[in-house]
Amino acid sequence: MWTPSAAANAYASLARLTDPQQGLTRARGEGSSSPSFAAMLKEAVNSINQTSRAADMQTQAMAAGKANIVDVVTAVAETEVAIDALVSVRDKVISAYEEIMKMPI
Amino acid sequence: MDFLRSIAIAASGLRAQAGRMRIIAENVANADSTAPTTGAEPYRRKVSSFKSEIDRALDAQTVALGRVKTDPSEFRLKYEPGHPAADANGNVKYPNVNSLVEMMDMREAQRSYEANINVITASRRMIQRTIEILKS
Repeated sequence: MWTPSAAANAYASLARLTDPQQGLTRARGEGSSSPSFAAMLKEAVNSINQTSRAADMQTQAMAAGKANIVDVVTAVAETEVAIDALVSVRDKVISAYEEIMKMPI
Repeated sequence: MDFLRSIAIAASGLRAQAGRMRIIAENVANADSTAPTTGAEPYRRKVSSFKSEIDRALDAQTVALGRVKTDPSEFRLKYEPGHPAADANGNVKYPNVNSLVEMMDMREAQRSYEANINVITASRRMIQRTIEILKS
């Protein structure tokens, strides 16, 4: 019932990305093996998609009278946490981008 | 993430207590289930037990309902000569269920369930508070 958490994956990719030694410098193009922010976002969204699909399946099974309510609640809570984390990261990144765009040139 | 793991472990506690509740319901519902004929036994009280299980995916010990055993104590005897299950002396064996004991068990199951729910609520609140750091 425990699935590798989407949020944990997002954190891990973000940590890799923001690691000053390899993340941002390499994302600029020097040695291109580390993921870009777009790739990391895609990965995080994909894994959240999977988590939420599991939660949806549990909810449907409960509506059909098959699933245990405890499983539904834990699956939905896991999805909620993952989405909440990703949305916060996205908001933070967008606000940083806006901050940069506001810079007078 | 540790918080999600603690939620999963607490969920195993919820499931176990729900199973215990089911057994208590059986006992209470069958408190007056006598045997159909003279020789047969009435309903025998069931006793739930818990065992800890190692969950490899979680890398933690979760709880599960162990084997349901029956209570070997003696049946209650009631003098009811007209009953189809009455013996030669007119006594009928009634199940060895004591509704007061079942009520106490039910309260215990209820409180344990609430304790597990509190673990889930607290873990969720901690996750959310942590994510809120990102938002500010």
